[in-house]
Amino acid sequence: MPIHEKSLIRPENLKVQENIELEGIDVSGHWSTFIESRVVTDYNEAMEEEIAALPGGEFIHRCWQCGSCTNACTVHAINGEFNPRYWIYLIRTGMESELLRDKDIIWQCVSCNKCTYACPRDVVPEGVMKATAHWLELKGHTPKSHSTIFDEIFSEQVIETGKIEDGRTIRRYFKQTGQALRQPWLEEMVKRLLRNLPIGMLTRMGLANFITPKTAGWSGARDAIKEYVSEQEAHHRKVLGLDDLVKAAENEL
Amino acid sequence: MKKSDKKEKYQEVAYYPGCALEGSGHAYNRSTKALGEELGLKLKEVDNWNCCGAMEVKNIDPKLQTYLSSRVMSTAANKMKMDVVMAPCNGCYHNLKKAEYDLENDEASRQVVDRLSKKAGHETYQAGQVETIHALDWVKETIGEEGLKERVKNSLEGIKIANYYGCMYTRPRHIFPEKDAGPGSESTSKPHFMDDLLDAAGAENVDFPLKTACCGGAHTLSDSDTSTKLVTNILQTAEAAGAEVIATECPTCHSGLEMHQIRAEKTLGIKTNVKIIYFTQLLGMALGLKPKKVGLHENVSDSFDFVKKKGLA
Repeated sequence: MPIHEKSLIRPENLKVQENIELEGIDVSGHWSTFIESRVVTDYNEAMEEEIAALPGGEFIHRCWQCGSCTNACTVHAINGEFNPRYWIYLIRTGMESELLRDKDIIWQCVSCNKCTYACPRDVVPEGVMKATAHWLELKGHTPKSHSTIFDEIFSEQVIETGKIEDGRTIRRYFKQTGQALRQPWLEEMVKRLLRNLPIGMLTRMGLANFITPKTAGWSGARDAIKEYVSEQEAHHRKVLGLDDLVKAAENEL
Repeated sequence: MKKSDKKEKYQEVAYYPGCALEGSGHAYNRSTKALGEELGLKLKEVDNWNCCGAMEVKNIDPKLQTYLSSRVMSTAANKMKMDVVMAPCNGCYHNLKKAEYDLENDEASRQVVDRLSKKAGHETYQAGQVETIHALDWVKETIGEEGLKERVKNSLEGIKIANYYGCMYTRPRHIFPEKDAGPGSESTSKPHFMDDLLDAAGAENVDFPLKTACCGGAHTLSDSDTSTKLVTNILQTAEAAGAEVIATECPTCHSGLEMHQIRAEKTLGIKTNVKIIYFTQLLGMALGLKPKKVGLHENVSDSFDFVKKKGLA
C-alpha cells in the first residue's frame, strides 16, 4: 500500500527560477527552487474575540489543541482538509489569511456532535464551526452558504407559524438557491413514494401546499422571538464592527 | 429511579410528535400510535405544540432553540399536568434534553427563556418539571423484552437487521445523564435498546459498527453530495454485515437513508437493496398489526414484498 504523504510546503509557495546566478556563478537547474517566506505579518488580533461573541463560539478559549475533534470528525473522514483543530488554532493565533484558505468548506460541519462528545475541554467545537462560518459570512469573506440559507428559511417559518411543513421549506429552499426541483433522483423518490399511497393521503398532502400548519395561540411567542432575534443581530453587528465597515466602504465610494 | 417505577410512570405520557412526524416521517407517527394502542399505553398529544427548533434554529441562536423546546415542556407540565414527555424523533428528543440541561446549568439560558415565556404569555418551564424520554425508552421500560416475547404473534425470525441510532440519540453525552449509568442503562457509544427490543421480537441483529454514525441529515439538501457519501457508507456497511433491513428510530435519519439510497443509485450508480424500516413498524408487525396499519405504504423504501416473504403480512 502506498504511503500518502502530505507536503508541508504548498505548491504555490515553491518558487522555481529558470535562470539563476549567484555571485557571478550560474547555478540554474541546481539551486533553482526557493520557498516563499512564511513570516506572518497580518495578524487579526480581534478574530478570536469576535468569533467567541457569536453563538456557539463562547468556549473556544478552552482549547488545548489535543486534536480529538478532528480525529472524531465525520467530515474530516471524507475530506482531509476539514480540520477543526487547526482552524481553532488559526483563530486563536489570529492567522486570518491562513483561515481564509479554507473559507469555502467550514460551513460543511454536519453537527453530528462527535467532536463535542470527544472534547476533553468542553470547547463545543461544533458550535465553534457554526460561529466561524457565520463570522466569514458576516465579514463578507464568503456568500451565505446553502446551509445558512436553509437555516434562515426554516427558522423564519418556525418563528412565523410555530411549525414546519417540510414540503414548503424544501420548495422555498430550492427556489432561493436557484436549483431545479426536477432532478432525476428527486423525481424517482417521489415516484416511489406515490407507488403505495392511497388517494386520501395524496389529497391531504396536496392540501398541505395551501394550508400552512400553525401552532394555535402562537402570536405572543412570535412577537417575543422577533424582538429578541433583532436585538441579538444588532449586538452581533456591533461586536464585529460591521456598521463601521459599511460606513468606511461608503466613504471610499 | 427503579425499573418498576418507570414502568408505572410511562404508562401514560405526553406525546410530542414534532413537525417531521406530520410530514415526511408520518409512517413513524402512525406506527408509534398503533404500537401504543396495541400495547395499551396511553399517548396524550401535547396541546398546540410548536417546532423544537430541529437542526436549524440553533444556528440562528441556540437560546432561541432552548426557548422553543421549553415551551413544549411547559405546556406538558403546567397545562396538561404531565410529568413525562415522549418524543419519538431524535431531533425533538435531543433538543428537549438539551434545553433541560441548559436550563438546569446555565443562568443566561434561564434568563432568555423566562423573558420570552413571559412575553409570550405562558408559564416559564423550570428544569425538572418533566422527564423527556425517547420512544425506545417508552417501549423498553413499560413492556420490555419479556413483555414483548409474550405478545409476539409474527416472529421476526430470520430477518437480519442492522440497528441504526444516528447522532442525536446519544451525543453529546452530558445531556443524557441517565445513559452510561451502569447495568441496564443505555450506552452512548454502543446503544442497544433497539437491538434488545427487536431481538425479543425474534429478529437476528447483525454486528453493525455504524450504529451512531452520521447520515449528514443536517445538510441533506444543502450539501447533498456529502450526505450521499455518508449514507452510502452506512448502507454498504449494513449490507456487508449481512443486514436485509436497517431499523431506524429517527425521521431525519430514515428520510435521509431513503433519499440518498436513491440519489446514490441515480448519481453515483451505486445500488443497495437493504430495506429501511422504523423499529416501531417492525415491532407493530411482530405484534400482528397489518403493514398498512403501521404505515409501510408511507415509506419511500418499498418493503411490501419483503415483509410478505418473511411472513409478516
